[in-house]
Amino acid sequence: MNALLQVKGLEVTYGPVRAVKGIDLEVPKGEIRAILGANGAGKSSIIRAIMGLVKSRRGTLTLADRELQRLPPHMVNQLGIAWVPEGRQIFSTLTVHENLLMGAFGQRHAQEVRARQEQIMELFPILKARQAQLGGSLSGGEQQMLAIGRALMSNPVLLLMDEPSLGLAPRVVQYLFDLTREIRARGISILMAEQNARQALRVADYAYLLEVGEIRDSGPARDMEASERVRQVYLGG
Amino acid sequence: MEQFFQQLINGIMIGSTYAVVALGFGLIFSVMRVVNLAHPEIFMVGAYVAFVVITRLHVPGQGLGVSVAVGVFLLVLVLAMVVTGVVGLVLERLVVRPTRGTYILTPFIATSGVSIVLQNGAQRVFGPDPVRVPSVIPAHTFVVSGVRVTSMQITTVLTAVLIMLALRYYVYRTRWGRATRAVAEKPDVAAACGVNVNLVSQLTVSIASIMAGAAGVTLGLLYSSAAPFMGLLFGLKSFVCMLVAGNRYIEAIMAVGLLLGVVEAMVTGYVSSNLRDAVAFALLLAVLFFRPQGLFGSYEV
Repeated sequence: MNALLQVKGLEVTYGPVRAVKGIDLEVPKGEIRAILGANGAGKSSIIRAIMGLVKSRRGTLTLADRELQRLPPHMVNQLGIAWVPEGRQIFSTLTVHENLLMGAFGQRHAQEVRARQEQIMELFPILKARQAQLGGSLSGGEQQMLAIGRALMSNPVLLLMDEPSLGLAPRVVQYLFDLTREIRARGISILMAEQNARQALRVADYAYLLEVGEIRDSGPARDMEASERVRQVYLGG
Repeated sequence: MEQFFQQLINGIMIGSTYAVVALGFGLIFSVMRVVNLAHPEIFMVGAYVAFVVITRLHVPGQGLGVSVAVGVFLLVLVLAMVVTGVVGLVLERLVVRPTRGTYILTPFIATSGVSIVLQNGAQRVFGPDPVRVPSVIPAHTFVVSGVRVTSMQITTVLTAVLIMLALRYYVYRTRWGRATRAVAEKPDVAAACGVNVNLVSQLTVSIASIMAGAAGVTLGLLYSSAAPFMGLLFGLKSFVCMLVAGNRYIEAIMAVGLLLGVVEAMVTGYVSSNLRDAVAFALLLAVLFFRPQGLFGSYEV
């Protein structure tokens, strides 16, 4: 079984607190997988651990047979994983254009970078219109598009999305989740951490349910939607 | 009126040097959230390098043609910048990087230790008294409408301006400058974009140190002296500039540096030279009281 991303026995601790208590998950090539769970369940910790941003973690992480757990974040990025952080986290003192260029920082070929920027601006016309504006002047939804665009600039094989719907209007959320299908269609796999189970299950192929740092349930999205636990707690019965 | 313009010129000259050193402080602080207390001593190292190079070269003080003099000046400047750049690299690797990101006082204390080492080192090697730095630029005073400006003063301002322009170019027009701004704002996100944050850290401290070294050379030549503790007061005032300006915009630090120089000159000229050093601290108190994030805003610490 050759999944693109394999996570085995991942543990994340912050001081005395064990945020993630030994979990396994994987993302096969070409799939969208979701990690569902409430605030504080440990979803962000998993995403950050994969990206190499967490100091104290145990377990193995592999991307297409390359081990990730000892790598610093910039090397994880260069291997083909891009991060869309929780709360957008775009560079507010850089312009939209510069934010996108930052996404491609690890990429060498100027031609390819330019071409990719064009593609992304086609995907998000609003970014093209606001190219010269400072990132901080964009609305929440626009910033989320910029954050996704920035991540796509590195031509990743795997996109990590941390709570993409957080703080956004429903219509924007709908649009963004539709977008993830478009991204999958371009051959990019996605692992998303999301509280909004309804939207996540709408687009995901497979989902994990995380509670207090442990995976309580997992399965194809359709099955998860039908599961009692998920229905009651996350889908409002 | 002459007095006003004279003080203005004097003020701009010293202010531009405050600005260069303050920019180095600000750069290190905004990118790494570290107050590098050894920064003023790197400025001092620059002045001593000028002393060593010029005395070794046995440069005749006067009688040099302008182009030769400029050549020698540039040589001294480049050598000082290389030395201080290396000192900065070593400082970053051994002191700043290991203490970065921990409790904010740790790098503060560590770098103040380095500053003491550098001061005492200079005392040991060169003696506690100021040494005379022979001049390189042929002395010439230009008089324009009653305002006197010396050739060394012009050289000082010119060097400072060129350094600041170079820094601005680096920060706003180059790939690594962009990465530096990104790291200053959000280091985790920058790292996830493929930026080697440790490398940016090294670059930043080196650049700041090179700038301080250049400022040390020009000031050493301007006052024809280098002393082990010359960094103290100068560094303190530059640090004040950084605090007053906030660490968000490099233009703000430049402006405050110049402002401080000019206000000091005006106070010296019109009020009393004894009050000169008090200006900086009065300004700091006022700003910290009314706008503690600095006049032009800061990143969160």
